[in-house]
Amino acid sequence: MIPSKRKFVRIAEAATPVVVIFAVLLAWEFFVRWRGIAPIYLPPPSTIVVYLFRMLANGSIEFNLAVTLLRIFAGFAIAALAGVTLGVLMGMSRLIARIVDPWIAALYPLPKIALIPLLVIWLGTGELYKIVISAVTAFFPIVISTYAGIRQTDRGLIKAAQDLGANRRQVQLKVVIPAAIPSIFAGLQLGMGVTVILIVAAEMIGSSSQSGMGFLLIQSGQVMETEKVFASLVVLAIVGAVIIKLQQWIDRKVAPWTAYRDEH
Amino acid sequence: MDVLVENVTQVWPGRGEERVVALDNFSHRFASRRFSCLLGPSGCGKSTLVQIVGGLEPASNGGVRIVDPSNPQARRPLGADSVMVWQNLNLFPWRSVLDNVAFGLEMQGVPKAHRHQRARALIASVGLSGFEWHLPGQLSGGMRQRVALARALIMERPIMLMDEPFGALDAQTKIVMQEELLRVFDQTRKTIIFVTHAIEEAILLGDEIIVMTARPGRIKEILKVDLPRPRSLEMVNSKAFGALFDRAFHLIREEVMTSMAQQAIALEAR
Repeated sequence: MIPSKRKFVRIAEAATPVVVIFAVLLAWEFFVRWRGIAPIYLPPPSTIVVYLFRMLANGSIEFNLAVTLLRIFAGFAIAALAGVTLGVLMGMSRLIARIVDPWIAALYPLPKIALIPLLVIWLGTGELYKIVISAVTAFFPIVISTYAGIRQTDRGLIKAAQDLGANRRQVQLKVVIPAAIPSIFAGLQLGMGVTVILIVAAEMIGSSSQSGMGFLLIQSGQVMETEKVFASLVVLAIVGAVIIKLQQWIDRKVAPWTAYRDEH
Repeated sequence: MDVLVENVTQVWPGRGEERVVALDNFSHRFASRRFSCLLGPSGCGKSTLVQIVGGLEPASNGGVRIVDPSNPQARRPLGADSVMVWQNLNLFPWRSVLDNVAFGLEMQGVPKAHRHQRARALIASVGLSGFEWHLPGQLSGGMRQRVALARALIMERPIMLMDEPFGALDAQTKIVMQEELLRVFDQTRKTIIFVTHAIEEAILLGDEIIVMTARPGRIKEILKVDLPRPRSLEMVNSKAFGALFDRAFHLIREEVMTSMAQQAIALEAR
């Protein structure tokens, strides 16, 4: 009796979020139809799904999403490489940290979107500008987390390694950098988040390249095709969730010890 | 290897002009192949002393020499003959048990196959076979303690410095680990300097007990433990054990009272 009851509770717990999502969608559908709201303001979910499939069928989602993802990964790759490298260098050399620190302190709080006019003047509205703006934005959380992770290495672990015969280089390579991996990954996750935001935003501004999810959104909005706007948003939300889950999965694979970190 | 501690003084910078004297003119010869226990209230500088002996902390004054009794003229660099077992273990959480134990050999550039073979043997000797690929976080406190012991033993250093290694263990695990350490000492006859604040532990393990004063840490009295080896837990009930306990307890009690009074004064000053 008891095990089956427990099983029921478990299934109910797992099903509840899904049930809530469907309830909200259903309420939305009925509300729109009941009040007769024009789809130009708020299309019902059913219509959004129809548009979504139409856009998938004519390939506009696939094409624009592929272009956006390419830009995201290009910007993120540059930011990750530069951010982790500089963060590690700062953590290892006090001189480098001293030189770089005022620049980060001054540039980090600056809203990077404010750089768009300048970047458009310098680089135009092509691919380079989009990748640069997202890379610049993602760079800061990555470099800051990496540096913090390197600096916060447990002194006890460093001393233990020295006691076991590790030289300076070995301490850095075998203790300090592995100990910083969880912080580096936290920085990379933050960086990925802002890369997605900045690429989509950049695609909306100065749309000379005429492609990408941001372009699709702004174009649909300008011609009042609200259904397409919603369909694009749904796609972006799903892609964002997939990217986050993927990163969490990679994190667990690369740094499995963080699961037991609290114990000593 | 003898550990010759000569007039070691350690002063920490305190608040403002204030200075904290952790160790005051500490001199002692820790004899080869002997088990010495440093017993004292917290803050008496016993942990500081073993870190200085291990070459991990410079002394403000005085010095430590490692002397090979068979070749007393030879100068040994500090830290080269000793290995530390830490109070909080300091295992590398991202490394498997195997790679934690093999760490010292890896730093020496020993090839992987060879260092893993050596590490496996030591892991087996502390009773952890089958846990080679576990991470430290997946193990119990006692098992982690065994990994730390194996990681130190693989270095084959003649001196082992132990800074309250069993302080965080529960009572039962502590007993098992003390027996394990007695076995290791009987087999390897290393020079061991063992920091503790537990009187029974010091008597059960040590050949001599250096009772320290509250801050600043000085030698209050040295007690010889004449219990025969191999030691066992049953000796706790012997008359000799009881007499030593009473003596040590009396000495420590005075120091703990002093230490508590000092802390009260420090709190009021704040």
